[in-house]
Amino acid sequence: MGLLALGTALEWTEAKKRADQVRKWGIEQLLANWHRAKGKERDALLWGDEVEYLVVALDDASKKARLSLAQAEILKSLARDEELWKEGTCTYSENKEHEGEEPPHFHPEFGRFMLEATPGRPWGIDFKDLLKVESNMRWRREVAKAHMAPNESPITLTTFPRLGTKDDYIQPYYPPSGPALRSQFVPDEIANPHIRFPTLAANIRARRGRKVELNVPVFKDKNTPQPFKDPTVDYDLHNWPEDDDVRNGAAKDDHVYMDAMAFGMGSCCLQITFQAKNIPEGRKLYDQLSPLGPILLALTAATPIYKGFLVDTDVRWNQIGNAVDDRTKEELGELPLKNDRWRIPKSRYASNSTYISQDPRLRKEYLDPDLIVDEDIKNRLMQDGMDELLATHFAHLFIRDPIVIFSEDLEELDLNKADHFENLQSTNWQHMRFKPPPPEKHDIGWRVEFRSMEIQMTDFENAAFAIFIVLVTRAILSFDLNFYIPIQRTTENMETAHARNAVLDEKFYFRRDPFSPPARRHQQSSSNSNASSTTPSAYNTPPPSPPLAPVESEYELMTIADIINGSPDGTFPGLIPLVESYLNSVNVDVETRCSLARYLDFIRKRANGTLWTGAKWIREFVAKHPAYKQDSAVSEEICYDLVKAVDEMTVKEGANGSVGWELLRGRKD
Amino acid sequence: MKLILSTSNIMTAGGPSVIRPTTSKSNVELINSLRANFLAAQQATPPASGEANGNGNTSSTSWTKQEDDALYIPAVDFSQRGLAEERSQYDITVKLFYLPGIPVSRRCAHTRQAIELVLKELHVDSIDLLIVSFPGILFDAEDDSEEEVSSVDDGSSTEQADDFDSTIQTWRTLESLQEQGKIAQLGVAEFGSERLARFLPHTKVKPSVDQINLKDCCVVPKSLILYAKQEKIDLLTHNDCNDILPVGTTRELLGPGERGAGILASAPGASDGLQGDIETQWVVKYTAVVKDRGVVENKGYFALADVGSCVKPGHST
Repeated sequence: MGLLALGTALEWTEAKKRADQVRKWGIEQLLANWHRAKGKERDALLWGDEVEYLVVALDDASKKARLSLAQAEILKSLARDEELWKEGTCTYSENKEHEGEEPPHFHPEFGRFMLEATPGRPWGIDFKDLLKVESNMRWRREVAKAHMAPNESPITLTTFPRLGTKDDYIQPYYPPSGPALRSQFVPDEIANPHIRFPTLAANIRARRGRKVELNVPVFKDKNTPQPFKDPTVDYDLHNWPEDDDVRNGAAKDDHVYMDAMAFGMGSCCLQITFQAKNIPEGRKLYDQLSPLGPILLALTAATPIYKGFLVDTDVRWNQIGNAVDDRTKEELGELPLKNDRWRIPKSRYASNSTYISQDPRLRKEYLDPDLIVDEDIKNRLMQDGMDELLATHFAHLFIRDPIVIFSEDLEELDLNKADHFENLQSTNWQHMRFKPPPPEKHDIGWRVEFRSMEIQMTDFENAAFAIFIVLVTRAILSFDLNFYIPIQRTTENMETAHARNAVLDEKFYFRRDPFSPPARRHQQSSSNSNASSTTPSAYNTPPPSPPLAPVESEYELMTIADIINGSPDGTFPGLIPLVESYLNSVNVDVETRCSLARYLDFIRKRANGTLWTGAKWIREFVAKHPAYKQDSAVSEEICYDLVKAVDEMTVKEGANGSVGWELLRGRKD
Repeated sequence: MKLILSTSNIMTAGGPSVIRPTTSKSNVELINSLRANFLAAQQATPPASGEANGNGNTSSTSWTKQEDDALYIPAVDFSQRGLAEERSQYDITVKLFYLPGIPVSRRCAHTRQAIELVLKELHVDSIDLLIVSFPGILFDAEDDSEEEVSSVDDGSSTEQADDFDSTIQTWRTLESLQEQGKIAQLGVAEFGSERLARFLPHTKVKPSVDQINLKDCCVVPKSLILYAKQEKIDLLTHNDCNDILPVGTTRELLGPGERGAGILASAPGASDGLQGDIETQWVVKYTAVVKDRGVVENKGYFALADVGSCVKPGHST
């Protein structure tokens, strides 16, 4: 989350009236910024990772784990120490290991039980930097823990297993059914109290015309009731008009039903942002990383429990999508269009729908033929000189309404700011995000954010995935790799990634040959122009090439093991062999290479099933728990033991047969 | 006659040549990328341009180029711009493989030839790091005893063992090139700590890099790590093959066979191509990496082979 401005937040009926103004101003700010920054060149690779935590309090006496709503106090105490550190009166850590490193930054998140931490300074590509990532993540956890109550811990589970149950799963306890969320499961106090967050939740609900609706298929175990009717749903509540939702069929049979933004935006993710050298490289990375989103989602799967029940999906993604889905019935296609402008196929939180690179390899068949675009906005952008691809991208993001509007911001348009642009941009939670440089910071370039990964329980895993993605970007640029598939296939892959054990059991659409075709290859090598630094002239005049094969022949269904490790028959090289080939082409010292080998080996084994995903490990933990009754229910006792085990795992990391070895080591010794 | 084999930029040439099995130390990258580059050059040369002889298919002259006594396979257009950005943006590393059975006395000339080709290809006037690989030295990670490994080799092929004096002699050449400003830093490959300790006192310019091949696990002898740290030598990893281009492979690559380029005769005495013995003299690998972005922009190989009746027969494989 970015900086939180203060002001008077408009209620939805007022906000709706000002939506056009915010969009218009946002587009003018974008154009001003684009004109200013489109010529930026030679920005270094800098990158950063964002790790999110649940703050969990353990009550050993009653064997309960609860979410702690202590975010504000913890952040206050962290900020105080950061001030002291700046004055030089606080060493921040007794640990000498981090001398010379800037202390990590902590940020608020939607959930009042969440924290987000980023490194004190972005990482570079110096390979020795890569070795600091894991220890820095550990340090972040230590620093966070040091600012919590003794019985509290930062836990990197994607979701709290018993969020929204009938018992006192939060401390301090507040009863549900407040005016902002109107949820029958969680209180308004679950959200960060900053006016932005309750307004976001309330306006999404108001725009939608009913509460958000999350129905996750329950995992059917031996003793699970058939059909399963979510026993925690209260059909007799009459506090708010929205309490009618369940009486109108919002809760589906055989599903776990949830009704508030907190069930989605209360999830923890692992997000990585890269700075590109210039706008063409940023656009290329945005496109090339997009097909990897679902693959990495399935590979990091860690979300098998919602609201006290094992569910039949392994990842969080769609639940967040549903939790912030502000589409009206008309936009959803449930009613004929009357007041709204479009039917919109996806939530604001969804897989991305655009390709934006001016790359001769981008065939028009890869684009979404049904993309919804605001034509007026697109025309405005193109009239000012923006090319059609990029204009289409932003005109697609800007089909949405701004949700939170502060009346103070509507007095004067400031073209040196990006607040109105960001209002739309940062509430389009797609799995890729293309980020213009912030206007006020001249040392920051065009950036691309990779957003699909689930947070992992240990810092080792989180570091491994962060570093893997960084190395994949370097391989993409060095080998000029081509992962293009029709973008609708990526949307389908995103759905596929949700299936239980998708990482091993499902197949994903992926491009067969990631290399450029031979004809173009030679053209390139003989003209010695280098494709990783594609200059505009390179795509304005694509070299003559033989007629292209049908798009359908370019990709096929592959297992994740094949995509990551290469297909057994050698037809697809595999991301890890590509990364290794890249590493063999650069000067890497022995120590670094060996550390990187550990990370790559971990990902290789996660992909081929030698090591379990977090989702599988959690399922097995529940299944083997003596208190589990094979009825899909994850009781308070199981939840307590699970959180304790996860906490222990972050320290011991499965060494010597300790908890989590199936996830991290693959063997007990 | 000299044959100059080249791969052009293998990063963007793509295809299977960039991927090789990680389990075995192998020279697949070089062989595959040479083959791919020959093929690409042959295909890219329209038959019509072979006006001189008209038979585009069998003629090699349309896609190769003879200059003085050197035949470039394929033709290299050195007039093309080498790197996309200014020189200061890059780290340029060159690794020169001296080959087994080639007299040490030629190394001075070979080193100059190889460096000149790379400078010409990349349009630069200096490189940042030159790593030299001497034949017959194998690093064994299990125990830091590469010396014995090479002496075991002596049994089968005496000429392969690179004796210490010739190493020193070669190093003098490198030091003088370094003095001329064409090379910023020098490095060696596969040196264990004992060999380094023997070697360093004889050097004016110390190697700043020792590049070692680590198969799949990372067992580096402590003694080497400590010694390298003490001497401020960076231990880098590589995945190159020791005998990177055996003579038999060269003939197969260039010969008339199904997978050959159709330039050399199938045997020294045959008449289906260039006649005579062939002897690969050296191989050089170059890599240009954009420093603060970690992008490998250009990577390729040159190899030089002598062909003709007066060539001393090489070590057969």
